[in-house]
Amino acid sequence: MKKVSTDHLDRIVQFIRTKGNGDVSLGDVVALAEVTVESLSSFFRSIDMSVYRELSDIASFITNMKVEVGRLQPNDLKHSRIPAAGMELDAIVKATEKATDTIMGAAEELMAADASDPVAYKAMVDERMMLIFEACSFQDITGQRVAKVIDTLKHIEMRVTRFADAINAADADGYLSEDERRREERKIKNILHGPQLDGEGVDQNDVDALFAKPEKKGKDAATAK
Amino acid sequence: MAVDLSMPILVVDDYNTMIRIIRNLLKQLGFDDIDDASDGSAALAKMKEKKYGLVISDWNMEPMTGYELLKEVRADGSLSRTPFIMVTAESKTENVIAAKKAGVNNYIVKPFNAQTLKAKIDAVFAD
Repeated sequence: MKKVSTDHLDRIVQFIRTKGNGDVSLGDVVALAEVTVESLSSFFRSIDMSVYRELSDIASFITNMKVEVGRLQPNDLKHSRIPAAGMELDAIVKATEKATDTIMGAAEELMAADASDPVAYKAMVDERMMLIFEACSFQDITGQRVAKVIDTLKHIEMRVTRFADAINAADADGYLSEDERRREERKIKNILHGPQLDGEGVDQNDVDALFAKPEKKGKDAATAK
Repeated sequence: MAVDLSMPILVVDDYNTMIRIIRNLLKQLGFDDIDDASDGSAALAKMKEKKYGLVISDWNMEPMTGYELLKEVRADGSLSRTPFIMVTAESKTENVIAAKKAGVNNYIVKPFNAQTLKAKIDAVFAD
């Protein structure tokens, strides 16, 4: 921003010094006003231009932000894609539960079956086995549902990544809500990380090796034997 | 020490299917007195009403986890000596060490088989 012209200020100071000890006429006041207006007009012009540029930059940023938010397609995500993905996951859970129930029910009936009549037993085994085969068909449709959910996640990831790049966003610390904070703190307190992917956790042999090591004596040591 | 097949066993898991699997495996091993609970607090309530010879618990449950249940059991004078096996998908070394430090008697990583379950029960009662 430009400074007020010192030349004009010097003229104001000189004028006041000249008239400082004498009577001041209306003409003097008008003359002083003219000098002051002349001195400050360039200053106000420079303020106008600077504010205009700032506001113009802000308006441009807001316009770009609206375009980027539009490309994020938040309404489509909120009202369509995310609910649809949730329904697919619900359907997967229900299908696996139903299939598991069918398979386990058939297995339990086989284990409890009376094998004293071989012909009847064979017919019963064949029927239950057919139920198990049919129930296993859930895997095909759940595989397709999982693919749809993965597709939705990729769709969201692509848009969020683009949005973050466009606004040059940095990750903020903290939690979005009290509920989120409670859930995260519960995970830490209860050491909830699982289930691990292949290669991330230890296997049963590693666990057994850890249990084979003698426990250090202390107040937290195991008490039950 | 031989395993007492008549002892009551409490299976704690929030997934009914897993309870059903463990119950069937235990029946195959010869155990018959099997109860179940869907989380740590429900298990604790049952343990205060009935003396169990063994608790087999999942780790990740709500509202009370199996880890919290283990610590509650070990802190309760009347329950502290109950044998406790954790059966869980939490397979980080940190979890195993924390459970051991809290007093778990054995630890089974999911998915598991009948042979592993039998071996760990035998190991607990051989100690």
